[in-house]
Amino acid sequence: MTATAAAADQRSRLRSALDQAAALSLRSIRTSFRNPVSFVPGLVFPLMLAAVYSAQFQRALGLPGFPEVDSFLDFILPASILQAVAFGATAAGADMALDMENGFFDRLLTSPVSRPSILSARLAGSAVEAAIKFVIILGIFLLFGASVKSSVPGVLVILVVSVLLAMAIGGVSLVLALRTGSQEAVNASFPLVFSVLFVSSAFFPTELMEGWYQTIAENNPITWIIDPVRRLVIEGWSWSDSLSAIGLTFAFAVATISWATFALRRRLATL
Amino acid sequence: MTAITGPAHSAGVIGSLAARGMVRIIRRPSLIIPTIVMPVFFLVAFTGSFSGITNIEGYGTDNVFNWMTPYAVLQGVSFAGVGAAGMTGEDIENGFFDRLLLTPGPKLPLMLGAIGYAMIRALIPTTLVLITALVVGGADLNGGALGVLILYVGALGTAAGFACLGLLAIYRLQSMRALLAIQVPIFALTFLSIGQVPLDFQTGWLRRASELNPITPILEMLRQGFLDGVTWESTWPGLVAIAALITVFGVPAWFQLRRMAP
Repeated sequence: MTATAAAADQRSRLRSALDQAAALSLRSIRTSFRNPVSFVPGLVFPLMLAAVYSAQFQRALGLPGFPEVDSFLDFILPASILQAVAFGATAAGADMALDMENGFFDRLLTSPVSRPSILSARLAGSAVEAAIKFVIILGIFLLFGASVKSSVPGVLVILVVSVLLAMAIGGVSLVLALRTGSQEAVNASFPLVFSVLFVSSAFFPTELMEGWYQTIAENNPITWIIDPVRRLVIEGWSWSDSLSAIGLTFAFAVATISWATFALRRRLATL
Repeated sequence: MTAITGPAHSAGVIGSLAARGMVRIIRRPSLIIPTIVMPVFFLVAFTGSFSGITNIEGYGTDNVFNWMTPYAVLQGVSFAGVGAAGMTGEDIENGFFDRLLLTPGPKLPLMLGAIGYAMIRALIPTTLVLITALVVGGADLNGGALGVLILYVGALGTAAGFACLGLLAIYRLQSMRALLAIQVPIFALTFLSIGQVPLDFQTGWLRRASELNPITPILEMLRQGFLDGVTWESTWPGLVAIAALITVFGVPAWFQLRRMAP
């Protein structure tokens, strides 16, 4: 085979893999939106929590140690977005586990579909869902008077962080799905996501916490992501905050997706 | 031979169904773990995250555990109510409930058995949260033994109320999808209340909702043992609210069950 023919063959394979990934991604996105029961609660719950907390913690804004904000709505905006994104991201693993339970995953493996596209499709589904939730939540917050001090560049940074976080958590849920093959096991990880989010600076500043809880919250990676994102919302544009938020979520996403790829390889090796 | 319409037979059916529900959660880790872990987590998370709010004047206590313990109990109790609906929903979907309906004798014990299960299950989170609050959080029990008794009475009564809500939904929809439907009102009832902060801290629509919410007097009743001690003035509105929850959801649930019976 000549070099030109080999290059053409490689291009054709790549195009085919991309087509397969696109088709599977589309299937994944359609699954999410055809099943509002899995999509809507992840959107309503953070909004409801934000509405309640804004109406009950307004007096807390005057506490020493509370960051200077115009309203509690501004303070909780990053938490609400990341909460909605995190809740939806576990669906990537749950849907893959469903494919395993109903045999679709085995049929995929017997077809000549590219293996990486099986994972990337699920992650793409999570990413698109995260972007849509981001737009909806930000829109509702702006409608109720919240503001993003860093303006359009800050909004874009938060969008990127949301998408990367969805892929990172999606990666963890895919590992669980590949290891257990059970929807129930993947769904059982939901309280864990909730716990990690709660024991952070998401809903209240760590400066106002005490003891061991404060130590855990300060060292929770979610706090390291939420704090710079929050400063973009309540203080204004900052390169260091933008890069640290994107860098951390990117590293988190790379780590979990690599783990999921390893888990897929192990599963394929046992077949 | 025991008469199939007598009170002894009914009590037997109620006891058997309640016991069956408890065996079900003990045998399934996916059910027992949330029952044990989540209420304690709520207590730790709410007290840990919002400990700073005790510094705001007018909060009512300087130990956040005194405020949050009854709220965490209520969260645990809400899972018990959902559990009653979950057990009945599974029985409906796998056909066991149809067989129960075909058995001779009154049908009310079938409903009371599920409510009994919810109440027994509610003992688990209530006890765990109370122990955690006392041991880890150093919560004050200014109400003494009477305060603890009121906490248990309120928790079990609320579990019965939430169970009635869950059973109404499950009898109506006859599907496990009802579990999703009841989470919204239960979430609203528990969150739109004085769960985390006093009424005076709340503004606008939330304050109005909390004032109208039957969970607010129930929380006042449960909380008094941790604050200034038990009084009848803080107790009777909670008891009335529990009775109202059970009546408002229980009576339609009973009518719905009667419609299902052949």
